[in-house]
Formats: sequence, structure tokens, C-alpha cells
Amino acid sequence: MSMKAIVDCNNFYCSCERLFQPKFEKKPVVVLSNNDGCVISRSDEAKQLGVAMGVPLFEVRSLIREKSIAVFSSNYALYGDLSWRVMETLRILLGKERVEVYSVDEAFLELDALGQKELDALALSIRKTVEEWTGIRVSIGVAPTRTLAKLANRLAKKNKAATNCVMVLSEPLAIEKALRRTAVSDLWGIGRRYAKQLHEKWSIYDGWQLAQVNESFANKYLGGVVGTRLVRELRGIPSRMMEEERVQKKMIATTRMFGRRVVELSEIKEAIATYTARAAEKLRRQFSATGHIHVFIIEHREGERHGMAYDNHRHLDKPSSDSSVLIRVATELVVDIFKKGRAYKKAGVILSDIVPEAARQGSLFVDSASADDDRLPLMLAIDNINFSLPPAHEPQHDSILRFAAAGTNRGWKMKQEYRSPRYTTKWNEMPVVR
Amino acid sequence: MDSKNGTGQAAYRGSKSFTQQQVRSANATGFGAAADDYMERGIDLNEELIRNKPATYFFRMKGDAMKEAGIFDGDVLIVDRSVPLANGRVIVAVLNGELLVRRFHKNFSSAFLIPENSRYKAINLAEFSDFTVWGVVTYTIHPQG
Repeated sequence: MSMKAIVDCNNFYCSCERLFQPKFEKKPVVVLSNNDGCVISRSDEAKQLGVAMGVPLFEVRSLIREKSIAVFSSNYALYGDLSWRVMETLRILLGKERVEVYSVDEAFLELDALGQKELDALALSIRKTVEEWTGIRVSIGVAPTRTLAKLANRLAKKNKAATNCVMVLSEPLAIEKALRRTAVSDLWGIGRRYAKQLHEKWSIYDGWQLAQVNESFANKYLGGVVGTRLVRELRGIPSRMMEEERVQKKMIATTRMFGRRVVELSEIKEAIATYTARAAEKLRRQFSATGHIHVFIIEHREGERHGMAYDNHRHLDKPSSDSSVLIRVATELVVDIFKKGRAYKKAGVILSDIVPEAARQGSLFVDSASADDDRLPLMLAIDNINFSLPPAHEPQHDSILRFAAAGTNRGWKMKQEYRSPRYTTKWNEMPVVR
Repeated sequence: MDSKNGTGQAAYRGSKSFTQQQVRSANATGFGAAADDYMERGIDLNEELIRNKPATYFFRMKGDAMKEAGIFDGDVLIVDRSVPLANGRVIVAVLNGELLVRRFHKNFSSAFLIPENSRYKAINLAEFSDFTVWGVVTYTIHPQG
């Protein structure tokens, strides 16, 4: 049996910013999402000051001023490059086949089933080497399953001083203790709604209780196969749940109600662009590309429950997962169906004709070696936003979208007032030393 | 970077990663035309200057603190974080939250950051609590003329 490890960069975006501006070390730092909408990464110091994940910038402006919190716009070029460095370091240390990049700042590792002491030493040396080589601090959780590794990682991060950012759970007793310390809502893959249901219906509060549930019960009441796998993972039996989660969807849709009636084209365009970006993230997360984009907007009519829907779609010559390509097409599509004088209450983007990224083929008339092939790493970097945001059903999320849809009067141009230089990817933006 | 040059040949792309299919003069047997036998890759500066890619960063020198070491304003520094600190090496240091290039010097009792310019003073590290080594400078790139 092998052991699973998760390597997770600590406050990744903030750490990237600090690497080239060490004066922000030990100071509160936050990084904003696309368009400077909301906070998507916080240093420990910023967390302690009460800056919540996903909070819109305007809500924390006074706190930022009061406590002199350093604010950065997202610098995707920088984060993407540093992410590659962290992952490459892991690949060099362990071998390509043992590293699975899970997100811009997380990777799963396959380790041999060594003893507790050896695993402790191995994890610690991986952590130290990554930090030494790349300058990025990571936390590592090691356990018999990915779910338990995630749990170990969370506990390691919670008490960095005591754990050295490393926690290995290999002994049954240690696993039990860790499970008892972990609320079900803090388990990987359990959303708030699901956790609430576990509390209310079955009085299950911590991971240990959930691990005791028998499989047929889990299958019947806890979401079928998914629930069964989760329970197994908690018991230390690996279930390749993650891969299966990634089973490719044939269609990806992102639609939202607006926070208010929207009448301006610029706002509709921003909303569509935002939804397209999210759909594209989902697309890249399952390593695929789309060949068909469909957008719709729904009109709001006073006194009527169902507004008129308008839609438009287009086939792409060449399947793409590049946000900028998809956003361009989607906004063109929505411009065609928008009519001035109407109020809209909802918009959406649906991607279909989905093909695996690897099998993506150019059509006869498009050069398959065209520029956007090189953008995939960047796109994957952008996806960190996806991972750093609270799940869709939570209220903050709506406010993010509302915020983006509310727009800036600069049209659909990314707002990046506080972006640091692209230190590692541009000759003329290199960090300066004296 | 474009993979083709004007002649339809696979052009050098800064790496060894091109395949037989990209060499247009290759025939169906997979062997290239005779000229291909004499084709060699150009010299790749990365091979010489970068020993550990994920650990290597570039910096831009500002000022003349290191001019007697041949590092001038505007030069590019190649910094490898995986190279161990050793006495006498030029390093990028973090001092009071600032990035500095100096020569690291240690004797039996104390450690210093030494500038290579008589107008600057040596820094005694005993006076600073928050000194860290950012990385070791392995090469500098200086334009001539």
C-alpha cells in the first residue's frame, strides 16, 4: 500500500507577492480577484485582522486603511510561473509519475508506505526543499488516503509552529484522533449544506462519527457512491474519488440571476464575461476544451414570472479552453441579442461539444500551432480563483458576481490597480536589487 | 516561438523537444535528408547559465554598490536559490525587508555583507536581526558597448 500526500502552498498568492517584496513579510497582505472585485488570498496576519475570504473590496476598504493592509491585484503571470516552479521541484524530487498537480497551489504525491518516522522526515525535507528552491512555503499532509491527507494538511496548517507545516497520519490511533478533531464541514468534499444535513438528520458532527457509518447506510442516505467512497477514504481505504469527480461533463453551464435589474449593455457584457470565465475554469479543470458556445439573457417584465429569453450560439473552428477566446466570442454573441430599453434579470453561458484537451484538434483552416496553445499554463494559473472562492451556494459568492456584474465604468477591461510587476516572466519587469 | 523558419525546416526552439515529424526534410523512413546529419543544435545559454531551473531567478542590478566586482547598473543577475551559501560568494540578501546584492563574508566571530565599491560601507550582520539569504548569484550578464 502506498501513502498519499498533499502539498499545499501557504496563502499562495500572498506568498508570491512577498517573495519579491520581502518588506511585506509578517505584515498583513491580501490579493484581489479579477477586476479587483474581492479578496481571494489572505496572509495569516490579514486573516487575524478579520478579513474574510471572498469579501468584496469595498466592504474591507476602511479596515485596509486602518490596519495598513497591503493590497495586490492578481498577477497571474507571476503566480503561474511560481506554481510551475513548485510543481517542477516536486517532480524533480519524486519523479514525474508520483506528482499529480491538482490546482495552481496543490499537488498530490504518491509516497511509499514507509514508517511514521521516515515519512515525517521525508515530508519535512520535501517542504524544506520546495521553500529553499522556490521561496514558496508549503504545508504537507500525509495519510493512507487523499481525504485523510487533506485532513492532515488542514491540521498542519492550523498550527504551523507546532507541526512545522507537516503532518503524517499513518498510525490508526493518530488517524482516529485527527478525525475526532475535525468537523464534518471541514472534510474535503463536504459542503455546508451536506454538513448541516449530517448534523440534523443523523447527528454526525465529526469525521470519526462519519467514518463509523456502515457502507450500505452511506450508500442509501449519504449520496450513493460518493458517500460510500468518502466513508471508505475516512477509514483509510483509498477510493479514487477525485479522478471520478473529474469525469468529463459533456456540457458546462454557468447561469445566475442578477442582483438587480440590469439595463446597460456594458453590464450585461461584464456578467457574460464573468460567467464565461467561470465556465472556462470548469472546462480546464476537467482538462477539456469546448467547440460550442451558447449564451442567453432573460428579460425582466414587471408582473410576469417568466421573462422572455433571448439566445445566441456559435461553433468554434477550433475547440478552446482559453478564457480570453471564449469571452470574446461570448460577448460578441450577447451584443447581438441585447436590445436597449429592456431590463434583464438573468444571464447564462453554456459550453458544449466538449473534447479532451489532449485530443483537441485543429480544423483544416486553423493553424493548430497558433498562439493560444501556449496559453494553457497561464489559463490553469488563472483557475486558482476558482479554488479560492467559496462554493457557489454561499452568499459571498453571489456578491462577487453581483460586484463583477455591477461593473466599473471602464467597460470590460480588467481592473488591476494594484498589480505588482511580472517579475519572472518579463525582461523589463525583473525585481530590482541594489 | 514559431516552430518554422522561412525554409520550412524545424527551427531551433530553445529546447531539444522537437520530433522527427517537425523536421520537414525527414522522409517516410524517419531518416532525414543527408544535410540533417550535419545539423546540430545551436548553443543554448540556458544550458550553461541555469543549473536548476525551478530555483533560478533573474534580478536587475540598480546602482554601483558592486561595480568593482564587475556588476554594474542595469546588469542582469542570475540567482540560484538551491546553491548553498559559502564564504565569499555574491548573494542577494534580504535586510530590513530590502533586497541587496553584496559579497557574503564570514570570519570566526561575525558575518558581513561587503560592497564592492569604496563609497559604500560594509554591513555587520550582528546589527541586524532579520537578515536572510534570498539566493546566491551564479552569473551576471553585462552588455559591452
